[in-house]
Amino acid sequence: MPSRSASVVCLLVFLLVSPVSIPSAWSADLENTLAIDLHDPAVLQEATRILTEEVKLAARAQTYVIVDLVDRAVVIKGRGAELHRFPIAQWSAAHLAEVSTMFRLQARPPVSRRKIEPAAGDQPPVSLDDMPTDFTLTFSPSLSVAVHPSASEDFWRWLRFTGRDWWAWLKGWARRLATGTEPSAQPVVRLTLTPHDAQSLAWTVTEGMPFLVRRASAETS
Amino acid sequence: MKRILAALCATSIGLVLLVLAGSLPATVASTVPIVEVDQAALRVLQSRYRALSKQLSQLMPGQPYIVVDTARNHLYIKRRDQVLLDALASTGSGTILDKPGEAKGQWIFDTPRGEFAVQTKLVNPVWVKPDWAFVEEGLAIPKSAADRIEPGVLGEYALGFGKGYFIHGTLYPRLLGKNVTHGCIRLNDDDLKSVYQLARVGTPIMIF
Repeated sequence: MPSRSASVVCLLVFLLVSPVSIPSAWSADLENTLAIDLHDPAVLQEATRILTEEVKLAARAQTYVIVDLVDRAVVIKGRGAELHRFPIAQWSAAHLAEVSTMFRLQARPPVSRRKIEPAAGDQPPVSLDDMPTDFTLTFSPSLSVAVHPSASEDFWRWLRFTGRDWWAWLKGWARRLATGTEPSAQPVVRLTLTPHDAQSLAWTVTEGMPFLVRRASAETS
Repeated sequence: MKRILAALCATSIGLVLLVLAGSLPATVASTVPIVEVDQAALRVLQSRYRALSKQLSQLMPGQPYIVVDTARNHLYIKRRDQVLLDALASTGSGTILDKPGEAKGQWIFDTPRGEFAVQTKLVNPVWVKPDWAFVEEGLAIPKSAADRIEPGVLGEYALGFGKGYFIHGTLYPRLLGKNVTHGCIRLNDDDLKSVYQLARVGTPIMIF
């Protein structure tokens, strides 16, 4: 009898203690989705902002994109679940403080579609290779996300893209010199992706797709 | 001589651009401002963050769901982050076909993107050929519905997710992995059977 009582007591103690003592990775994940330092107020505030917006998007039947400048990734998501991730090799941005809301893509990068000629047999389909490796996505409200390859992967495209950025800067500087006024703050995010990932992103995005940008405290990476 | 000078000028400009490109100027300092909060406010923020994380996690499908990657032509069945099935698929070709008799009417053969749900589950489905299937082959569109029926081309099962789009089988498994369909999602026989068994009416399908 005493040994049976002891066994029952041990079992009860085990049942009471085990939910507390056994580490629950899943419940930890539930409460820290972005795996951030919960004692860093700036990081916490930004993460909270992103989650507030994401919860609204995840509550609806749609896919959406998070440009995560902290974890350096472009993430395609639906209902809070990660569907695909593209690593960001490098990024830079201007007027990041203006990027505090949800944006909707105005138009996906253009792709030339092949027209089927009736009875002419199979037509070559559109594939990833048809998508551009450098492009600019424009959003409402005002935001531009410029995507381009690195210099090592496609030097001429990179040079063209960099030259375009410098030309825009020169025009802004000349305007300030001529008029004495600052141009309105247009937020811009520039992403360096591999050509394959850039083409994948161009393929994936659709008109009206919601985008969120998780900001980092620095302006470049 | 002039050519040499022009080449030297062009090279110098290029080198200057290259050197300066490494440090593109920001027009205005625009870093996210450093936040200083007291401990009580920090605790409130932490609490809010945890609640939002939990809320987001609860929005994820609790049951298995289908993910279709149209760029890489793969179909996955997942439960939370776990992949239960990874299947090679074929998705929309992205080509266009003019509608006869309409100046600007076109069919665009894309697999639709976004979130959908399994609406129907069919066994031994029969293809009822739409108008484009005849136009594409240069044939007249039949008046009789019976002339549209073509059995045996969709495989043993089909799962409909709205507007005439289905996950179904194929007679051409060698074309799996390519964008060759008119918008539907094709799988081989074994994967199709697995999807049919795992999915229910209402199972979410997320397509990107």
